[in-house]
Amino acid sequence: MGQFAAGFKKWMVIAAGLAMLLVVLLVSQFLIFEKDEGYQATAFAMGSYVQQTLYGTDAEEVSSDAAHAVTELEQLISWRVDGSDIAALNQAAGEEAVQLDVRTMDVLSRALSVAQATNGAYDPTVLPVSSLWNFDTDEPMLPDQVDLLDSLENVGYGFLTMNEAAQTASLAHQGNGVDLGGIGKGAACDAAVEVYRASDVDAAIVAVGGSIGLYGSKPDGSDWLVAVRDPNGTQNDSLGVLALQDGFVSTSGSYEKTFTVDGQTYHHLLDPNTGYPAQSDLVSVTVVCENGALSDALATACFVLGLEDSLPVLRAFDAEALFIDQENRITIAGDLSFELRSSSYTVSRQEL
Amino acid sequence: MSGRFPLFRKRDLLVFLVAFLLAAAGFWRWIPSDDALIAVVEQNGEVVKRVDLERVTEPETLTLEGDVTVTVLFEPGQVSITNSDCPDQVCVRTGVLTRSGQSAVCLPARVAVRIEGENASGADGMTG
Repeated sequence: MGQFAAGFKKWMVIAAGLAMLLVVLLVSQFLIFEKDEGYQATAFAMGSYVQQTLYGTDAEEVSSDAAHAVTELEQLISWRVDGSDIAALNQAAGEEAVQLDVRTMDVLSRALSVAQATNGAYDPTVLPVSSLWNFDTDEPMLPDQVDLLDSLENVGYGFLTMNEAAQTASLAHQGNGVDLGGIGKGAACDAAVEVYRASDVDAAIVAVGGSIGLYGSKPDGSDWLVAVRDPNGTQNDSLGVLALQDGFVSTSGSYEKTFTVDGQTYHHLLDPNTGYPAQSDLVSVTVVCENGALSDALATACFVLGLEDSLPVLRAFDAEALFIDQENRITIAGDLSFELRSSSYTVSRQEL
Repeated sequence: MSGRFPLFRKRDLLVFLVAFLLAAAGFWRWIPSDDALIAVVEQNGEVVKRVDLERVTEPETLTLEGDVTVTVLFEPGQVSITNSDCPDQVCVRTGVLTRSGQSAVCLPARVAVRIEGENASGADGMTG
């Protein structure tokens, strides 16, 4: 073998090796560039932080439309907004039926359906009581007990009548009032997802406070991962992750809005039957279903009802749930795919 | 010299190694560094400041005036809301943010501080 031939062969091998390395590098860079991080947008609406991540065409424009849809919904269903549908309905209580936007009708009828199915554990007519507690403001307060019991007389979903054909609703007596606070964030997710559906985006996730709407499949086809907040941690601590293909997720937790008077802590999840924060052994309920408004109202209802009484309700609405109790026990009702990532909790399953 | 010419000599191996290291170095440059920590401060949904926390050497504060005044503290590799006139103090209690995807939100002030990137838990979103 001549020296030249051997040298040539050697350089051929080196060149081939480098070429292969180059191919590997190019392919991996290609893969990295291909990983779609999505377009992120944030806003404040519904008294919450609104976060969106969108994948695909026109993401920026669509996210802006979705944020707009959420704000529009707030202008319709917030009882605090002068001239909103719900403000008008409350104003006309005991007098006349009020014409409502189709979006308001949709949210209100879902609210009513959950109220009926839960015997008022969730009740949209809770305003006379909720307005005394003021949990949706910066300054919640402990109401006077006599005032509270008086106001409780005016709470009851039976006072609310809806006429789907005429697209109207009415409240029976002066003093009745609707507060859609317990359903608004979930309904806002519905509004955003409706915008995604009508657009060219491939996939998107919207979070309005603790409610989440999922649309489409992520670019890599993997499940959406929704972290469940650790009730004993801060805003950034999660105890585990739900893997979901689509749908809506809402959580009601007693840690969300609280205040303390004379050593007693009061949380914002009011039991419409007592007028006081629900006395439940739960600290949080996460509900997954096919509609955002329903998931939100059901999460509130299930918190008030407790685990046992929630099961028939979940079945009726084809929903699944994750309950966390004060003993750090997690109970998953249904087939939800959940990965526990905290050693402080235990998980068990409950058939639905 | 034995008259045989080995495919690789030590010197060639060295050349190969250097080429490999150069290629690897180039490769790592392309991968977005896990250390990239961009803190984004928003008020009323508008971005008011972006800070690369990796480039912060001295603690630096940002005071956001409004109905509710909020103070944000940038430190090397971390950011936090240290002061807020809000009653609930949820934002302050959230503590120090050090990883991408974390956020501290002061709803009364409509101020959010977050570190860009995917959620710290690798999740797409958080419920609760």
